[in-house]
Amino acid sequence: MTVSDTKFDVNGSAIKELAEILNTTGLSEIEYEDQGCRIRVAKSSGVMMSSHMVPAPVGHTAAPAVHAPAVSHAKESGAKALPAGHIVRSPMVGTAYLASEPGAANFVKPGDRVNAGQTLLIIEAMKVMNPIKATQSGVVREVIVVDAAPVEFDEPLIVIE
Amino acid sequence: MFKKILIANRGEIALRILRACREMDIKTVAVHSTADADSMHVRLADESVCIGPAPSKGSYLNMPSIISAADITGADAIHPGVGFLSENETFASMVEEHGMTFIGPTPHHISIMGDKITAKKTMIDLGVPVVPGSEGSVGSDQEALKLSKTIGYPILIKATSGGGGKGMKVATNDEELLQGLRMARIEAKANFGNDQVYMERYLGKPRHIEVQVIADTHGNAVHLGERDCSLQRRHQKVWEEAPSPGLKEEDRKKLGEIVTKAMKKLNYRGVGTLEFLYENGEFFFIEMNTRLQVEHPITEMITGVDLVREQIRVAAGEKLSFSQDDIVFKGHAVECRINAEDAKTFIPSPGKVTGYHAPGGWGVRVDSHLYQGYSVPSHYDSLVAKLVVYGDTRAECIKRVDRALKEYVIDGISTTIPLHQKLANDPEILGGDYTIHWLEKKLKDEASSS
Repeated sequence: MTVSDTKFDVNGSAIKELAEILNTTGLSEIEYEDQGCRIRVAKSSGVMMSSHMVPAPVGHTAAPAVHAPAVSHAKESGAKALPAGHIVRSPMVGTAYLASEPGAANFVKPGDRVNAGQTLLIIEAMKVMNPIKATQSGVVREVIVVDAAPVEFDEPLIVIE
Repeated sequence: MFKKILIANRGEIALRILRACREMDIKTVAVHSTADADSMHVRLADESVCIGPAPSKGSYLNMPSIISAADITGADAIHPGVGFLSENETFASMVEEHGMTFIGPTPHHISIMGDKITAKKTMIDLGVPVVPGSEGSVGSDQEALKLSKTIGYPILIKATSGGGGKGMKVATNDEELLQGLRMARIEAKANFGNDQVYMERYLGKPRHIEVQVIADTHGNAVHLGERDCSLQRRHQKVWEEAPSPGLKEEDRKKLGEIVTKAMKKLNYRGVGTLEFLYENGEFFFIEMNTRLQVEHPITEMITGVDLVREQIRVAAGEKLSFSQDDIVFKGHAVECRINAEDAKTFIPSPGKVTGYHAPGGWGVRVDSHLYQGYSVPSHYDSLVAKLVVYGDTRAECIKRVDRALKEYVIDGISTTIPLHQKLANDPEILGGDYTIHWLEKKLKDEASSS
């Protein structure tokens, strides 16, 4: 008897919905099962890994143990599909600001034509403001990052066509 | 107590720290490079921040990036782990300047122990025995001959700016000394651009004995016994054990006392390890590591102390939860460092782990970030797992090591499990009869006979 690899597609929107229900109802845990797929969403709990056991070397097989992943409160699950075009990614860790100061107009908005070298946004890292400039000319397709959001290295910020 | 700790490291040690944090209900932030996004501790952490590209220079050694990550996540302390920035006094200062706690000693202690000559001087002042040698660089032949009387033959001539065994010569008498000095200077000049050399007593058959200490900010310093790390290949530890099979009981006590007295005088804070060479009943200090060490689990197994937990508690200003009298050494522990390398050629073997099954049972502990489907990146050191085994006696412990290794399955990459299997069955290892040269000699003999 061999152990097969079970593929589990994460239903992002279902998890989001369940997480919202948790918040609005004040519950700490919800488990939902449908057609052999089970999702459990819990507050303040860590991510559980799905694990498979390898058959022991003595020719004696163990049943696979698959756990449904629980969603961690503070982390994103799954990668969003990114739009086509050149993606400007964050070169550092810090906080992104879309305008030069609070109240000022944003540097760029979707539809704007930008030139190489033009400032697109600012990332503040340890009290230093770092302008992030376009490396090529084009039209701003989408501003992915939200104003005053923390950003990590390589995080997609802006899409330019 | 801290609310949130940022773990500035990776791999199995990051997981070790994360586990201690979770058990203390401290929130965790895992910072990682792009290559480590799927690492186990990153998956388990409460929050994670990608701090840079795969090469360590841009990520794990990137101080502004790490501090920035602590900033945006609101961490109140940073645990630097082992290697990377754990003994970087600039980083330690930066962390404190930003209002966070560096889980480790003070920047001052890091700096005085970082320079080998300064560290030796500090130890001499604290009454700790060191390898007899010249106090600095050696000048004239006359000076060298005079020094040889106090140091005693055989003498090792070393390049002051050196490393990797280059510019090192051994002399057994005055004639060899003068000749050796000349040759060492030439080599040093060629390899390091500067011909400064110093002299030390050469130890032919030493064991590497290190002592674990921990001190709090209330004046308490305790030693947790020694570890024997003589089995090394190219200065990298392969197999460690506690207690040392080659140390006499009275020497153990003596060493412990010397070390704790020194740490108290130094006003040390946190965990630290003092490394010695031990030969013919004599100890010689070589260096101090002002951080947690990879092989800390074997000390945990024989003392019952959770070193990472104590380290965090001490950093938060709490008193040590035990005194020297509370420490009782029970049984024997061995750690096998399992690397992603071919067991014969030691060629690195990064890649996807297609099958994984860790051993278990009484007295078996595995500290590893591996899991089935995980890809071992090529950018970092090759340590992928630590098999830590406990036994009531040394013989039982080693038998258990052998038993555990036979159950361990890591498919998809090469590992040094076969090497450890050989060691666990070698008569000289079983007899505890080895020094720091043993393993390399054994590997050389095997290579030439095959």
